[in-house]
Amino acid sequence: MKVSKVMTAKEAVAKFIDDGATVMVGGFFHSISYVFTHEIIRQKKKGLTVCAASFNEHVDQLIGAGCVDRMDTSYVGVEVFGACDCFRRAVEKGLPHKIEIEEYTNFAMMARFLAGALGIPYIPINSMKGSDLLKYTAWMGDHKAKLMLDPFGSGFEHVLVPALQPDIGYFHVQRADEEGNCQMWGILGDAPWSERACKKVIVSCEEIVTREDIGRDPNRTILPGYKVAAVVHAPFGAHPKHCQGCYDVDRPFISKYIKGSKTVEGWKKFMDEWVYGVSDRAEYLKKYVDTFGMQKFLDLKARDISSSSVNYGF
Amino acid sequence: MTHKNADFTLQEMMAVAAAREIRDGEKVVVGTGLPLLAAFLAQKTYAPNIITLYESGAYDCKPLATPSSVVDSVLVPGSAMAGGLVEGLGSVHAGDIDVGFLGGAQIDKYGNLNTHVIGDYYAPKVRFPGSGGSNDIGSGCKRTIVMMLHQKQRFPERVDFNTTPGFFNGGKEREKYGFLGGGPSVVISTMGILRFDAETKEMYLASYHPGVTIEQIKENTGWDLKIAEDVHETERPDPELLRILRDECDPGGIFLKKE
Repeated sequence: MKVSKVMTAKEAVAKFIDDGATVMVGGFFHSISYVFTHEIIRQKKKGLTVCAASFNEHVDQLIGAGCVDRMDTSYVGVEVFGACDCFRRAVEKGLPHKIEIEEYTNFAMMARFLAGALGIPYIPINSMKGSDLLKYTAWMGDHKAKLMLDPFGSGFEHVLVPALQPDIGYFHVQRADEEGNCQMWGILGDAPWSERACKKVIVSCEEIVTREDIGRDPNRTILPGYKVAAVVHAPFGAHPKHCQGCYDVDRPFISKYIKGSKTVEGWKKFMDEWVYGVSDRAEYLKKYVDTFGMQKFLDLKARDISSSSVNYGF
Repeated sequence: MTHKNADFTLQEMMAVAAAREIRDGEKVVVGTGLPLLAAFLAQKTYAPNIITLYESGAYDCKPLATPSSVVDSVLVPGSAMAGGLVEGLGSVHAGDIDVGFLGGAQIDKYGNLNTHVIGDYYAPKVRFPGSGGSNDIGSGCKRTIVMMLHQKQRFPERVDFNTTPGFFNGGKEREKYGFLGGGPSVVISTMGILRFDAETKEMYLASYHPGVTIEQIKENTGWDLKIAEDVHETERPDPELLRILRDECDPGGIFLKKE
């Protein structure tokens, strides 16, 4: 019998994110589950190894809150819009504590997730060759990457990177059903491979739809339900990031965080207001509307550019 | 970054210079900021048939507004394909893409790039974001265009950390690694345009931007920079190009600072 996996973000994080776990944080800047990120911070999870192809300011909040001991990634920044200052303070000054970083390239991380998802132990890649990424390692030591002469005779050495199979992953999609079949569109970024690589995934979604709705457009499904342990209904769950067809990125709000987090005090002020000071996503949204007004909130809503449908007939 | 006697900023000069490096029909992997504007400008003027793609997975994009990042939702409607990193960066990794853009905290004499740290890796003075897709783009694109703020500490003789190899120690060293990509072809800095010697692979000054002197560029470079015999002033941006850049590529001033 199929059981509904629907629960609250509080329940999902309490049940599935363990202290010390390796946690895949899904979303390549688009459709990031801020609802889970903030819940992990409120529940004061500790000793996490967080992994993602690349990280934006969401991981900066986890680092500042002291949840993170290790990072397995290629990038921690906000493109041309600024630096992640909690990340910098952790690496440069050990605040709130030192973190270790095992660094790859964006593609190398995806290759590791791909290998993890396919159940193969490692994968050869063309990137990283000759770079200092091969010289410096953290906790993985010489298991970070290996060089191997192509056994099929090209004459060149390739970099082998190990598969990554995180204990748990979390991400945000437009819609899922109660069994956890997830549909996503727009910029897929690290999906579906970083999710498929995880032993288990918890998902937040804009909308919970029926199994029949999923079946009307099965090519849109990026993660099969068997991988999913919890489904959380969280409209605007990616805010201040965007979610295709739902709402746009809230650049001024992200700038507010980037500016605030330049100092520890400024970071605390922002977090007290927007994370520690609210109990869940519904309160966060209410606070947003109270602070910036309903119009500002509605302005984020995506306009309608719907696709044409296809014939799945036989 | 503005300078005297000119009706354009150095930032605009860089965007125009970068656009000139793109040839019609090429496949270009675009990053945020000036590279994005350069690709747009090229596409709207003399290279209408280029295909732009983003590492995030969007391919052949026809955005209705200026994207503010490589994952902007505006990239998706109208694109020919919206995949993920495995599809987007995968094309780069496979060696299929003609041009990529790079930038960084440091670039050295042989075009090696650092986007990691200043100082010791394990106890850095300054920590930067890391590789992201830089190393993948530098390893896989047929050629790369590097855009840099030209300051002495950013142009050291040797980078503190080699995130994205250029020509290593010069000569034929890059060839022994069997990269699918050819390495950097040009560096467009805030002061001039620099290229790499065909034999030694050492960076040299090809042209200086209007209002900048060769002496200033040498003072802001961490090694004894060689100067091309035919060194000249960088061709000034045509007023119509500037208009398109300002009014059509970045009307909201997302990347071009208003000065």
